[in-house]
Amino acid sequence: MLQFVIRRFGQSIVLVLIVTIITFFLMNLAPGGPSSMMRMDATEAEREAIAEQLGLNDPVIVRYGSWLINAFQGDLGLSLSSGQPVLDRIVERFPHTFNLAIWTVFFSVIIGIVLGIISAKNRNTWKDHLINFGSVIGLSVPSFWLAIMFILLFSVNLQWLPSSLVTGDSIWDTIKMYIMPVLILSTATLPTIVRFTRSSMLEVVSQNYVRTARAKGLKERTVVYSHALRNALIPVISIIGVLIPRMLSGTVIVESVFGWPGMGRLIVEAAQARDYNLVMGVTVVVTILVVLSNFIVDIIYSKVDPRVKNIG
Amino acid sequence: MKKYLFIMMAFLLTVLVACSDDSASNDTDQNTDSEDSSESTEPKQGGNVNIPIVGDPIFNPWHPNAYAESNIVNRVLFQGLTKPGLDNLPAPSLAEDWTPSEDGLVWTFNLKEGVKWHDGVEFTADDVAFTFNDLVLNASLGSNGASNYKAVKEVVVVDPHTVEFHLDRPFASLPAYLAFNSEILPAHKFEGVENPWEYTEFNKEAPVGTGAFQFDTYTSGQSLTLKRFDDYHNGAANIETVTFKILPDVNTQIAQVLSNELDAFALEDTSSLKRLESADNLEIVTSDTTRYFWIATDLTNPLFQDVKVRQAMLHAIDRQAIIDSVLSGYGTIANSAITPDQEGYFKEDLPTYEYNVDKAKALLKEAGWEDTNGDGILDKDGKDFSFEFDIALQGDLEQMAVLVQQYLIEVGFDVKLNTLEWNAMIQKNIIERDFDMILNWWAYPTDPDVLAQYHSSNAGTGNNIPGYQNEELDALLEQGQSVGDPAERKEIYDQVQVHMAENLPYLYLWYPQALSVRSDRLQNVPDLHFGGTLHYINEWWVK
Repeated sequence: MLQFVIRRFGQSIVLVLIVTIITFFLMNLAPGGPSSMMRMDATEAEREAIAEQLGLNDPVIVRYGSWLINAFQGDLGLSLSSGQPVLDRIVERFPHTFNLAIWTVFFSVIIGIVLGIISAKNRNTWKDHLINFGSVIGLSVPSFWLAIMFILLFSVNLQWLPSSLVTGDSIWDTIKMYIMPVLILSTATLPTIVRFTRSSMLEVVSQNYVRTARAKGLKERTVVYSHALRNALIPVISIIGVLIPRMLSGTVIVESVFGWPGMGRLIVEAAQARDYNLVMGVTVVVTILVVLSNFIVDIIYSKVDPRVKNIG
Repeated sequence: MKKYLFIMMAFLLTVLVACSDDSASNDTDQNTDSEDSSESTEPKQGGNVNIPIVGDPIFNPWHPNAYAESNIVNRVLFQGLTKPGLDNLPAPSLAEDWTPSEDGLVWTFNLKEGVKWHDGVEFTADDVAFTFNDLVLNASLGSNGASNYKAVKEVVVVDPHTVEFHLDRPFASLPAYLAFNSEILPAHKFEGVENPWEYTEFNKEAPVGTGAFQFDTYTSGQSLTLKRFDDYHNGAANIETVTFKILPDVNTQIAQVLSNELDAFALEDTSSLKRLESADNLEIVTSDTTRYFWIATDLTNPLFQDVKVRQAMLHAIDRQAIIDSVLSGYGTIANSAITPDQEGYFKEDLPTYEYNVDKAKALLKEAGWEDTNGDGILDKDGKDFSFEFDIALQGDLEQMAVLVQQYLIEVGFDVKLNTLEWNAMIQKNIIERDFDMILNWWAYPTDPDVLAQYHSSNAGTGNNIPGYQNEELDALLEQGQSVGDPAERKEIYDQVQVHMAENLPYLYLWYPQALSVRSDRLQNVPDLHFGGTLHYINEWWVK
């Protein structure tokens, strides 16, 4: 196990390094520059003064080198747009996205597994068809459209839920704030989990050990939940491992529509403004999170499925 | 299968939303107290006003990254020496009055006494000198808007309440420019600060201004709250707090103003206009601005050097049709750079180029361009009139460009549309001056001085995008800057406008009207565009 951890750690560092190199050079190859230099009415002298201040006159390779040295010392530099430390900007935005992601995954997993089991147990019945229909709808509807429709319905017309992040006084206010963003984000994650659980359950229930369990005369509930589900969940765990990091950076539309100050919006704002330091900072943090969550999933995987214990 | 399901779902949700539509904004009203619906004209104290901004603001108007969202906030937090008056002329703000010297090379500003910064320190001439000498005129900083003050040599403190602007050349528009995103910063807060753009304790965390509202709380990406400054020199504001909600999505802004969660903002996108107009709680205010849309052709390219070609292009474009469709009719055809809201200078009887395909073709024929080989494309000496039309992906620009392209194709131009992200557009078109034709807009202070966008010295590198060079226009623009007498200036700018309309340095498209959405609970808001009303926020009150 220790060997596995050490090897994965080494691989992770190399991966993060490769990601930073690609990001840094791609970003600098893109036309344009930091938005402070890209004003329509800025003069050449103003642009030169700003480029000098931001240290953009050095060759890209030199700039990458100095960024890397500082990053290893924990200094991700200053945001080119606001002058604030990059780490501070990430730290102030991260919790919002993290909360959103956790609640979405939690909601999707609980509901998704339940619906997946119902769907599998009632294969080819109206329940199965209804759940499949819902899954297809969830995956097909664009989230920005659905979000606007939800706002018009629940905020404008019914006035039940706030349309953006507001500082609430009570727990109920906080819950109300989360309902729409979590539901919208779940439309993409929930169907995935439902479908994985369903197909995995269907595969497992035809296995010999399930048949054996039934032959032993165990109750159907015990067969499904103790014998089938545990094994059916293994591929579902790997999907959850993919969903969490994707959520941490992929919530941009929901964050924009609901005025949610999270990481997704930060990445897009940084890229549009060619805030090189901020883009690099966010990339590093998100890459580390992806690597970390995959790592954790692998460990859980090995615990749940004894066959993959000797993964290393 | 997926497609049908999606259409069904879309239909169901749309029906659901539409069905409950009428109960919309007139039901429960979070902000409006029904007991206060009386038409009282006495200002009421207290209350909160919600205004949307699209991004995180920077509390420093001179910061190179201070964009529209920052300008809105900074107009409330800080003040300039002058502000836009209700008559569009510069009005007193931190300066009580101003006079130019006889040779026009020194402007003296008498500052208002008894003005306090939000931290209680007295505002003096040192603050003005610091703002200009240390920030704006410090070339190594590249301050936002510094190019507007190229004529200013230095600011000299005469006494604590008098400053002099010493100029290299006469600059009659100085008071107008000072009303345009040129707020004064507190010298005492910047003492010992090496790089003012990295001074986040001020720029992002705790700004100190002289405005009617002072900083209270701010959560990045979420909201900013300002509270009433009781020692405000014009008397404390009526409203208690102003909350700026950071909402990048315009649809969310519209939804929130319909549900009374927002009170006022500038409406850039007219697609939701009908819905907003039909809401009982809102009014749509229109106003003229100093903004005009144009097409710039590369005048170093022989294709566009003949004025007849440029005139033909304008005859070929149905500008009114584009105004009606893209701007929902909120705009008028432009003939020069001077906009209608400059009542004292705007000249109405200018040569114009009505939509007339035959005239366009005739002018092109005079210029030697005809479709001789019958391929539908104009040609001359065996060469087709082919060019690229670059357009930035921002706002309505692409929509406008597509229509313009179709009109130009109709008379035989071979136009290829090339869309670019904003940043990439600036790099290619503005910095590298690599373009055949572009469409964009300028906005400037309420003053007819447009030298920056037209003078030959700015061709190739400055704001003279098409690279137009004309000694006659240069001389007129220089005179306009040096003459202070309004009647004399009017004569000069009449000639400027005629020159522009005849020679088309840019192809003038339209003067858009500014649309502002305003909740009916807001009272005593002047009839200006949204940005202008913020200078008077101390006089607003809520029902």
